[in-house]
Amino acid sequence: MTSPTRSPTAAGAPAGPVIEVKDAGIRFRRNRRGRRTFKDLFSGQSRRLRPNEFWALRDVSFTVRPGEAIGVVGRNGQGKSTLLKLVAEVVLPDEGAVSVRAGVAPLIEITGGFVDDLTVRENVYLTAGLHGMQRREIDERFDEIIEFAEIGDFLDTPYKHLSSGMKVRIAFAVISRLEEPILLVDEVLAVGDRGFREKCYARIQELLDGGRTLFFVSHSERDLRRFCTRGLYLDRGRLALDAPIDEVLARYAADTGA
Amino acid sequence: MRATGSRRYRQILWLLTTRDLKVRYSTSALGYLWSILDPLVMAAIYWFVFTQVFQRDVGEEPYIVFLLSALLPWMWFNGAVGDSTRAFLKEAKLVRSTKIPRTIWVNRLVLSKGIEFLFSIPVVAVFAIFGGASVTPGLALLPVAILLQAILTAGVGLIVAPLVVFFRDLERAVKLALRFLFYASPIIYSTHNLPAGLHTWAAFNPLSGVFSLYRSAFFASELDWYLVGVGAAMSVLLFGIGLAVFRRTERAVLKEI
Ligand SMILES: Nc1ncnc2c1ncn2[C@@H]1O[C@H](COP(=O)(O)OP(=O)(O)OP(=O)(O)O)[C@@H](O)[C@H]1O
Ligand SMILES: [Mg+2]
Repeated sequence: MTSPTRSPTAAGAPAGPVIEVKDAGIRFRRNRRGRRTFKDLFSGQSRRLRPNEFWALRDVSFTVRPGEAIGVVGRNGQGKSTLLKLVAEVVLPDEGAVSVRAGVAPLIEITGGFVDDLTVRENVYLTAGLHGMQRREIDERFDEIIEFAEIGDFLDTPYKHLSSGMKVRIAFAVISRLEEPILLVDEVLAVGDRGFREKCYARIQELLDGGRTLFFVSHSERDLRRFCTRGLYLDRGRLALDAPIDEVLARYAADTGA
Repeated sequence: MRATGSRRYRQILWLLTTRDLKVRYSTSALGYLWSILDPLVMAAIYWFVFTQVFQRDVGEEPYIVFLLSALLPWMWFNGAVGDSTRAFLKEAKLVRSTKIPRTIWVNRLVLSKGIEFLFSIPVVAVFAIFGGASVTPGLALLPVAILLQAILTAGVGLIVAPLVVFFRDLERAVKLALRFLFYASPIIYSTHNLPAGLHTWAAFNPLSGVFSLYRSAFFASELDWYLVGVGAAMSVLLFGIGLAVFRRTERAVLKEI
C-alpha cells in the first residue's frame, strides 16, 4: 500500500490544486464559563451566530497549487493558527469546505504526541507511526532523524528528562522526516538555539526545493521573504489580501505602522 | 500513499494500545498482576460476604466461578466506560495535533481494557478447575459475548466521551452511575433471583444479556435467550446512538479541547 519513495515532486502529483478552501468559516465561543446546553450542542451547523460566539475566520477562499510556498501574516489573534489547523484538518469548519488532497506534515504543537514516560527511541517510533509512517520506513530513517536532532546520546532517556529545546529538536526531526507533500509550520522554532534554527530552516528549504507545498506562519519578515512567494494576509478573521509576499508584507506594514 | 482507511485505523489502534502497555510496564513492576489482582480482591470480598457471613441463596455453585464469570467482564465495561470520561481530556495534545480518526480515542480504550479482560480469563479457568465447575457447550458462545460487549461498551463510550468535554460534571455522574449499575446488573446474583416482575425489566439492561452469555459457559441454566435478544438489540441501539452523538459533537469537541 505504500510505495517506497513518496517523492512529492511533479511526477505523479495531481495537476490541480492540493489545497482548496472555499468560503470556510469557523466560530468559537468567547467565554468558556457561559452555559452550554444540549440544545446548542446538537443544533448542527446553523449559520446563525449564537450569543457569545464570534467568527474567528469567515468567507476565506483560496486554492494552493503543488509546490507553492505561502506565508500567512496578520496581527495576533487574527486567525493564522486557526487557518493552519483547518488545513491540517485538526479542526473542522462550521461553514464552507476545506479539502486537502495530499498528506500533511503538521509542525503545529509538534511535541503533542510524545509521551513523557517513554524513551526517545520509543517516542520516535510512536510519533512517526501515529503520523502514518510504516515501521519499515521509520527503521530506514531512524538514524537520519537522530542525527538531525543531535541527541544520539539520549536515545534511551525518558522523554521527560530532556530539556525543552531537545524536546522540540527531536519532534521537529521526526515530523520534518514524514516526507509528506504539504508542510505546515506555525512558529515552532522559537525554542531551539540559533544553530538548530538555522538547521531547521535549511531543512525547510531542502523540502521546498524538493517540491513540497509550504504553509508558513511567522511574525518574522525576514523568514517570510526567505521562503515564501505568496502571502495571505488575515485581518479580523477575513482574508484581506492574497498576493505575492512582498505586496502582502507592504500592506501589513502599512496597516500596522499607521 | 500512506496506508489508508481501515488498515491505518487498525495500525493506529495497535500503536496506541502498545504505547499504553509499554507505559504501564515501564512504570509499574507488577504490571499484569494489577489487572487480575483488582477483580480477585473484589471476588474474594464478595465470596467472603456471601458464602461465609450470609447464608447465600443466590447464584450457582461454585459461587466464586459464578461471581468471576460476570465480574471480569464487568471490569472491562467499568474500566473502559470510566476511562472514556477522560478519553479526550487526557490525550488533548495528540487530538489537537494529529488528524487520527477521532473514534479511535474511544475504541482504543475498549480494546485495551478488552485485552486486559482476555488476559484475566485464565483466572476463571483456574478457579473452575479447583472449584469443580465443568464447562458446558455454552462455552462456544464466548466470542458472541465478547463481540456483544465490545459493541455495547463502544456505544456507551462514544456517548460519554464527547459529552464530558462540555459537561465536566458528567465525569462524576458517570462514576456514580457505574457504581449503581454494578448492583443493578446480575453480577453478585443471577437474573433468576430477581422477583418475576423485575425480570422483564432487567433485560433492558444490556449487561444482563451479556453476562448471561458468559455464564452459560459454566452454568447451562444461566443462558436466557430473552435476555440475550433484548440485550443485543439494546447494545446495537446504543452503538447507533453513540455514533450519532459522536458525529454531531465532534466539531465542537475539537474546538473545546
Ligand atoms: N479552541 C479555541 N476556542 C476558542 N477560541 C479560540 C480557539 N482557538 C482560537 N481561538 C480564538 O480565535 C482567534 C484566532 O486565534 P489564532 O490562534 O488563530 O490567532 P493567530 O493569528 O494565530 O494569533 P498569534 O499571532 O497570536 O499566534 C483568537 O481570538 C483566539 O482567541
Ligand atoms: Mg498563532
